[in-house]
Amino acid sequence: MEGIEGQIPLILTAGIGLYAAIRIVAERRTLRKLPYLNVLSFAVAASVALLIPHPLALAAAAAYFVGSTLESNAIASAYAGGPERQ
Amino acid sequence: MIAILQAIFGGIALLGAIAASLSKSSYDKLIGIGLLTGGVIPFVAARGYLDVAIAVSLLVPVTTIIILQVTGPEEER
Amino acid sequence: MLGEVIRILAASIICWVLFVTVDILFKLPEKGGVSGAAAIGRQIRADGGDLLGGNMMGNIVSSPDASAGTLLASCGVFIAGIPGGLAAAALVFIGNRICHDPGYAGTTGAVLATFVVYGMTQVGFAASDFIAGTVIAILTIQGLFHIPASRVLGRLWRWRA
Repeated sequence: MEGIEGQIPLILTAGIGLYAAIRIVAERRTLRKLPYLNVLSFAVAASVALLIPHPLALAAAAAYFVGSTLESNAIASAYAGGPERQ
Repeated sequence: MIAILQAIFGGIALLGAIAASLSKSSYDKLIGIGLLTGGVIPFVAARGYLDVAIAVSLLVPVTTIIILQVTGPEEER
Repeated sequence: MLGEVIRILAASIICWVLFVTVDILFKLPEKGGVSGAAAIGRQIRADGGDLLGGNMMGNIVSSPDASAGTLLASCGVFIAGIPGGLAAAALVFIGNRICHDPGYAGTTGAVLATFVVYGMTQVGFAASDFIAGTVIAILTIQGLFHIPASRVLGRLWRWRA
């Protein structure tokens, strides 16, 4: 439990990520899982940037966030029936 | 990375693995794999392997999109 | 420690107002940008929510919008000051184009958030407060209760229109 004082934002974001993960597992409708997955990707991107204050960490956070968004986009579009059936 | 953070991110990755292995629908399995990736990325980044984190976080969505081409739209349950 | 928690809550309110304002100004609730966003909006309406608010939530899921811009700009200011925030805005622009989103909501939100966060760091806030605050703000929209959140967003959109 050492060093918890300076880490409050990090513990908060990681805890929100765990909450979102539990909601993803508990939710049964596929399309309603995707907003929780979005919350999780916000939390993980914020944790990566808070863990290492290095310029490449910004690129890693942005790459993870854009990748996760692209994944949600593809899953939702494929579930809805593909980009051509709108 | 302090112990409580390791517990939290490890828990996220384990939840993703359980969700991916137990769910019936292929879309739910892919969401579980996304959850698993979200738990693993901070462990990679905390060691300083930021380039590996970038590569993994760009490769996993590409793999998901290729798998989605195979599964196709889901019929109504 | 208590002061930091209060600062994080204040930062979350600032971030919520900032990105909801930018999103509504860029007409995100009007329609789903891609078919997946529209499908999320229809699912939320089928569960008893508001279609327009559901469309906006679907757009937030499907493409990096002003909330993603706020988060990455806060990370950029936390790491490298104002140049970091502008680099984050460029990354959000690239992410928008990857996700087939023709809009400029994410880039505008990132540039605005860069200056807001930098200004607030001059008056006693830390940039890490804003990172945690953005995560709390997105949690209140996408993570707690979808149906009331979609109603609030739909009411804000009708109030603007």
